[in-house]
Amino acid sequence: MKTQHIKKTMMILIVSVSSVLLWQSCTQQEQSRTYSDLTSEVTGEVIAELTDAPFVPARITAKHNTKVIVHLEVIEQPMRLADGVEYTFWTFGGKVPGKFIRVRQGDQVEFHLHNHPDNMLPHNIDLHAVTGPGGGAEASLVAPGKSAQFSFRALNQGLYVYHCATAPVGMHIANGMYGLILVEPLEGLPAVDHEFYVMQSEFYTSGGFGQKGHQEFDMQKALDERPDYVVMNGAVGASAGENAMKVKVGESVRLYLGNGGPNLVSSFHVIGEIFDKVYVEGGTLINRDVQTTLIPAGGSAIAEFTCEVPGTLHLVDHSIFRAFNKGALAQIKVVGDENHQVFTGKEKEEVYLPEGSAIQRISSGKQAAASSEPIPEKSLNERLEAGAILYKQNCMACHMDHGGGIPGTFPTLVNSDFLKARADKGIGIILEGLQGEITVNGSNYNNIMPAVALNDDQVASILTYVFNRFENGGGHIKAAEVAEWRNKK
Amino acid sequence: MKRIVTSAIFFLLLGCCDLQAQHPGMKTIPAGTYKPLMKTVADEITVGSFLLDEKPVTNAQFKAFTDARAEWSPTRVKALFADNQYLQHWDSSGAWTDEIDLMPVVYVSWFAAKAYCSWLGKRLPTLDEWEYAAAGKPEPGQNISSTETLILNWYSRMSGENHLSGSIYRNEYGLWDMHGLVWEWVYDFNRVVSNDDSRNSEEIPSGLFCGSASLNSAGASDYASFIRYAFRGSITGNYTMRRLGFRCAQSVQQ
Ligand code: HEC
Ligand SMILES: [Cu+2]
Repeated sequence: MKTQHIKKTMMILIVSVSSVLLWQSCTQQEQSRTYSDLTSEVTGEVIAELTDAPFVPARITAKHNTKVIVHLEVIEQPMRLADGVEYTFWTFGGKVPGKFIRVRQGDQVEFHLHNHPDNMLPHNIDLHAVTGPGGGAEASLVAPGKSAQFSFRALNQGLYVYHCATAPVGMHIANGMYGLILVEPLEGLPAVDHEFYVMQSEFYTSGGFGQKGHQEFDMQKALDERPDYVVMNGAVGASAGENAMKVKVGESVRLYLGNGGPNLVSSFHVIGEIFDKVYVEGGTLINRDVQTTLIPAGGSAIAEFTCEVPGTLHLVDHSIFRAFNKGALAQIKVVGDENHQVFTGKEKEEVYLPEGSAIQRISSGKQAAASSEPIPEKSLNERLEAGAILYKQNCMACHMDHGGGIPGTFPTLVNSDFLKARADKGIGIILEGLQGEITVNGSNYNNIMPAVALNDDQVASILTYVFNRFENGGGHIKAAEVAEWRNKK
Repeated sequence: MKRIVTSAIFFLLLGCCDLQAQHPGMKTIPAGTYKPLMKTVADEITVGSFLLDEKPVTNAQFKAFTDARAEWSPTRVKALFADNQYLQHWDSSGAWTDEIDLMPVVYVSWFAAKAYCSWLGKRLPTLDEWEYAAAGKPEPGQNISSTETLILNWYSRMSGENHLSGSIYRNEYGLWDMHGLVWEWVYDFNRVVSNDDSRNSEEIPSGLFCGSASLNSAGASDYASFIRYAFRGSITGNYTMRRLGFRCAQSVQQ
C-alpha cells in the first residue's frame, strides 16, 4: 500500500517536473523563435485592408512576416457631429476615428500618407506602434497635395493609437486626427464571432451641445478641458440606434477600444455586460471579470464577452454625464431567444407609493395644447433677448455671429439695403426662404437660403434683433404681423 | 506701440503719400516691432519700413508675366522650379471669366513667385515683414471680431482661393486679405523648418510654452499662427498648391 503510494507520488512528481521543464523549454523556444521571427526575412506583399469604425479588417492568417502596404489619405471636410450640427473634421481616411489598420507582429509596414489637395493644412502621423523617432511623425510631415512614405517593422504586439502630431498638436487631435492600429501576436488572436472598433473622443465647439449649424473649434474650451461633445466613433449616435452594431445571442464579441482624447480619460463600461477578458491598455496583461476598464487618452484596451441574452447593450463612458448629456454612447443590438436562466426580464411591476404621498399623474397632452395657445406679445427688450439666442441657433451658421455673412456666399445683414427695402420686413425670407439673384449693398448673390421653420413669436424676435442689432434702422416687429403675413398667404 | 506711432508720423511728414503714388497697388508699412511666435529668437523683432502689395497677386497679373516670360509658362517651366501641378487651375475645362482674372493666383512655386516679383522690380517679403504686416488689426467697421477668429473660421470654412483678391478684409495698414484668402509665400519660408515633428524640435517646445503662456492674454491667436508656421515647415520651393499664393514687397529707398 505504502510503496504504491510513494510510487504514485513519484510518478506525479516526475511528470510534473518534466512537464515544467518541457514548458520552460517551450517558452524559451517560443521566445527565441519570436526574436528570430521578428528579424527574419519578409515574404510576400499585400495592400492593407482598412476599415471605418465600427468595422475591423479580417483576421490575419499568414504565418510569416509580410510586407504590408498602407495607403492612408488625410481629408479635411465638414461632416455631421450631431443632428443639425456640422463640424469641419480633419480625418485619416474621411471619417472619425481614422481607418483601422491591422498587421501582424514582424510585418514590414510600408506606410504612404497622402494629404488631399483640397486640404488647407499640413499633417503627419505618429503611430504608437512604431519604434522610431516620433513614431513616424518626422518622416511623414506632408503638405496639401503631397504624399510621404516611410517604413517600419511592427516589433511589439498590441493595440495602438495613431494620431497627427503637427503643430499645434492639440488642435489636430481635437479636430479628429486619430485611429487604431492592431499588431496581432505571431500566433494570432483567438477567433471570435464578431470584432468591432469603437473609439471615444471629445469635441470643443463654439456653440454648446446641440446648437445647430456649423460649429467652429473653440480653443479656450479645449484648454479648459471643457468639451461640448464626448462621442463614440466621431459623432453623436454614430454607432447607436439604426447604426448600432448587431450580434446574435450566444455569439462572442471582441471590442477594440481606443481613446483619441485629446483630454479626457474614459471609464469604459458596457451597460448590461461583464467583460470576460480585458487586455489591459491594449497590451498582453489579461484581466478577467471586469465591469469598467480605464482607457487613457492616447491609449487603448481590448475587451471580450459573450452575449447570452437578447437586448440592447449600451457602451458608455461611465463618467456618466458624458454618456447622457454629451453623446458618449454606442450600442450593440443582441437579437435571439430569451435565456431565462441568465436573465428573467421584468417579472412583476407594481406601483411604489411611499407612505403619505398622493398619486401623481404625469400630465400628457396638456403641454402640447398649451403651446398652441397664443404667446403674449413680448416687449422690445424681451424680443432682443430672445432674438439674440434664436439668431445664434438659426442664422449665425451662414450669416455669421456679426451678421456680416461671408462675402460672395452669404450676404450681410448689416445695414442691408435689400432688407430695408422689403415691405414684409424680411418675414417672407425666413418663412419661405430666398433664392435667385439679389443685390445687397452693391454685391450680387445668387444662392439659396432655405426656409426656417419657426413660429410667429420666434420670427418676430429674430427680425427685431436683426433690425436693431445690425444697423437696419431699429424697430419692433410683432408676432401679430408675422401671423398676418402667414394668413395672407 | 509708441515706436510704431512715431514712425508712422515720421512717414506722414516725409510724404509717404508721394511714395505710394509712385507704387500703385502698394502700401507703405511703417517701421515697428512685432512679437515673433518663436520667442527663442528674440522677444521682439524690429522691422524697417517697406512697401507691400495691397492685395495678393491675381491670375490676370500673373498671366501677364507668363505671357512676357515664356520660360515661366505652364508648358515650359522647369521641374526643378515648379512641380507638375504648376498653374493647373488655368487649364480647367470651365471658361476663363472676369472673376477668375481677379482671384488670387495659386498653384505657384516659390521660384515662380520670386521671378514674378523681380520682373516688376520687386521682391518677396521676408517672413518677419510678412508676419509684422499681417499682425495689423482689421480696420473697424468690417464686423470682424478678431484676426484669430477670422483665421480659425477660414480653416474650418476651407475656401478662399475662389474669392476675389481683396474681398475678405482690410487691415490697419490698408492691406487686403493677409488672412482668410490664401496662404502666401515669403522669401525665407523655410527659415523655421526646424523639425518635421512639431513636438521634439529644439525651438518649438519653448515656442509652444511661450505660445501657451501668451494664450492667457492673447486668446487663441498663437494657436492660429502656429498652423501657419507648420504650413511653411511642410513645403519646399518647387511646391505648388491649391491654396498657396503670394504678394510682392519692395524696399524703401533710404
Ligand atoms: C443655410 C444658410 C442660411 C441660413 C441658416 C440663413 N440664411 Fe439668410 N440667406 C442665405 C443666403 C444664401 C441668402 C441669399 C439668397 C439669394 O442669393 O437669393 C440669404 C439672404 C438673406 C436675407 C436677404 C439678404 C440680406 O442680406 O439682407 C436676409 C434678410 C436673411 N437672409 C436673413 C436670415 C435670417 C434672419 C436667418 C435666420 C432665421 C437666415 N437668414 C438664415 C443663407 C442663409
Ligand atoms: Cu493633422
